[in-house]
Amino acid sequence: MEELLLGVDALDFLAREGLPVLRSTLAADADHAADAAREIGFPVALKVSSPDVVHKTETGGIRTLLKDEKEVRGAFADIVASFSSRYPEKRLDGVIVQRQGSGTELIVGTMEDAQFGQVLMFGLGGIFVEALAEVSFRLIPLAPWDAKEMMEELKGSAVLLRPRGEKVDIAAVEVLLLQVSKLAERCPYIVEMDLNPVFVSSDGVAVCDARIKTA
Amino acid sequence: MIAEKLKHLFYPASVAVIGASDNFDKLGYHVMKSLVGSPSVRIYPVNPKAAKIWDIEAYPSLDDISGEVDLAVVVVPAAQVPETLHRCGRKGVKGVVLITAGFKEIEDASGEDLQNEIAGIAGLYEMPIIGPNTFGFVNRTGGVNASFTSEFSLLEKGGVALISQSGGVCHLCGFLAIEQRVGVSALMSLGNRVNVDFPEALRFFVEEDGATRVIALYIEGVAEPRRLLDLARSLSGKKPIIAYKAGRNEKGDSASRFHTGSLAGSHPVWRGALRQSRILEVTSVEEMIDTAKVLDSCALAKGGRIAVLSGQAGPGIIAADALEAEGLSLARFSPATQERINAILPPVAIRTNPVDMGPAWYNPKNMIEILNAVVDDEATDGVLFLAIYASANLGLAAAMEEYMRKSKPFTKPVVVIFSAPPGIWDEAVRKLDRKKGLAVLPTPERAARAMRNLWGAHVLFLQPR
Repeated sequence: MEELLLGVDALDFLAREGLPVLRSTLAADADHAADAAREIGFPVALKVSSPDVVHKTETGGIRTLLKDEKEVRGAFADIVASFSSRYPEKRLDGVIVQRQGSGTELIVGTMEDAQFGQVLMFGLGGIFVEALAEVSFRLIPLAPWDAKEMMEELKGSAVLLRPRGEKVDIAAVEVLLLQVSKLAERCPYIVEMDLNPVFVSSDGVAVCDARIKTA
Repeated sequence: MIAEKLKHLFYPASVAVIGASDNFDKLGYHVMKSLVGSPSVRIYPVNPKAAKIWDIEAYPSLDDISGEVDLAVVVVPAAQVPETLHRCGRKGVKGVVLITAGFKEIEDASGEDLQNEIAGIAGLYEMPIIGPNTFGFVNRTGGVNASFTSEFSLLEKGGVALISQSGGVCHLCGFLAIEQRVGVSALMSLGNRVNVDFPEALRFFVEEDGATRVIALYIEGVAEPRRLLDLARSLSGKKPIIAYKAGRNEKGDSASRFHTGSLAGSHPVWRGALRQSRILEVTSVEEMIDTAKVLDSCALAKGGRIAVLSGQAGPGIIAADALEAEGLSLARFSPATQERINAILPPVAIRTNPVDMGPAWYNPKNMIEILNAVVDDEATDGVLFLAIYASANLGLAAAMEEYMRKSKPFTKPVVVIFSAPPGIWDEAVRKLDRKKGLAVLPTPERAARAMRNLWGAHVLFLQPR
């Protein structure tokens, strides 16, 4: 039966499989959110968690760079109030409290192609995915040099990769691509994975949000 | 078994033409026309109604031929094909070229049924069949033209094998290849692919055919792309493989289409998969034949630093622009190289890269010396050499050809653009082309793209397996 893993569920799954993810907790109320934020460490980001919402940005359900408990409580109340009034028909699981990610946004995905079987996609994430189509594909399984070459293909947009001139941890991205390839190979019941965004900076790589479809 | 039989199929000592004809309106006429120009082949025309075809003794049926038959070229109507193939199998024919159309490619379901039937017969006798719905093949190395286009015998012999899904594209590329003097080992269309598909043909030309140095694939769509791609990957590093994949629908929204899952068979996936399989992708017919030609004739480029030598400044500037557009760069000569150039060229010309060869234009020895100087430079990975005709340098190409006869082959790719009115330099250019590591292409832009691909092929070859 088809199932869709979203938000914390998807991130927890990836973490259990050994992938680097931003630490996240689903909070049911403002107290819980404040506790979780303290435990995760500031700054944090808060995101609406609803089984009816895949693209959180479009619903306005994200607050970032919250630097203390007071801001977290305020943001929690904001998100819940605006979500409930704008989308009364949509279900609300709570709010995800997540370690604030930073760096360049990447996208890593897998899918089942009718002709090729399992395929991996990699590219620049965020607004660049659609604007530049800076994505490339490989058949799963990837060899280490495939990951290297995918990274090289992306370097064509080197300026975007280093907006403030800092170096990004290329090796960590290559490792992540191989991990995703292995995960898809190991779990053939995953028909689609969408890790978007994935943050890469000088100190590594971390999955910020994910959507996993199983059959 | 199929692989072993393919050797006899592509290098037959004897060929039966089933449906041979003296009537210009029949394909059997044109196949005979091609084969009579293949002197090393014993031809058996098969036709129940004629004693002689093309003035060669004809046989009423395959069974009446007493000698062995390596290859049968079949041009009988589709309905007669199953029985004909059974005869081929019983006779012990090593392989079949099935030119007849009217199988899987037609709208009527009976075509697919018929194709399944012949696939069964092919399996029964373990008999490789090229086609159906193919124009045949030409093996220039073996001097065999088993196709309905006799003019393919005009192709110069060389190291390029073209394996095309489409017969039409084979003709388009084949005639351009004649015009551009691409050296060809073999040219074939796979047609509907009963049991000789891309993997079988690719393996033959990479592993079995010594004359083939480069394989060019024209792909429209295949049912099991992984079978081809996995094979190519396992063969990587042996011979360069290039591919032109048709059916691109390359919209910028590939990523969003990915999200909706409607990307099946899309070009971005093919592009990545080709790269992963160490196949160099080309995106036009020109690029395919140019790239095949330089890969057959020149050394690979170990980097992207290119020297431009031009008799006129303008074409040199165009070449420099074209190189940059392809992601290549102008080489910076070492002081030693610059000294060698300066010793030959007076300071009236631009002597750094691009080098204005104007003052050396009437002295082939000086031109070659400059060419050698830049090839020797460690900071140069390849050379574009541009020679445009002017009345006063009438003898340039001939003198260069004469001088080159004695010189050593270039260890780095040298791509030359000769431009002259028809008839002026043709003979000398023909003699120079594809020898000593030098290849001639028509324009600076095409030469720059070919040079990029010589580098690309080197990078694909380098990868660990």
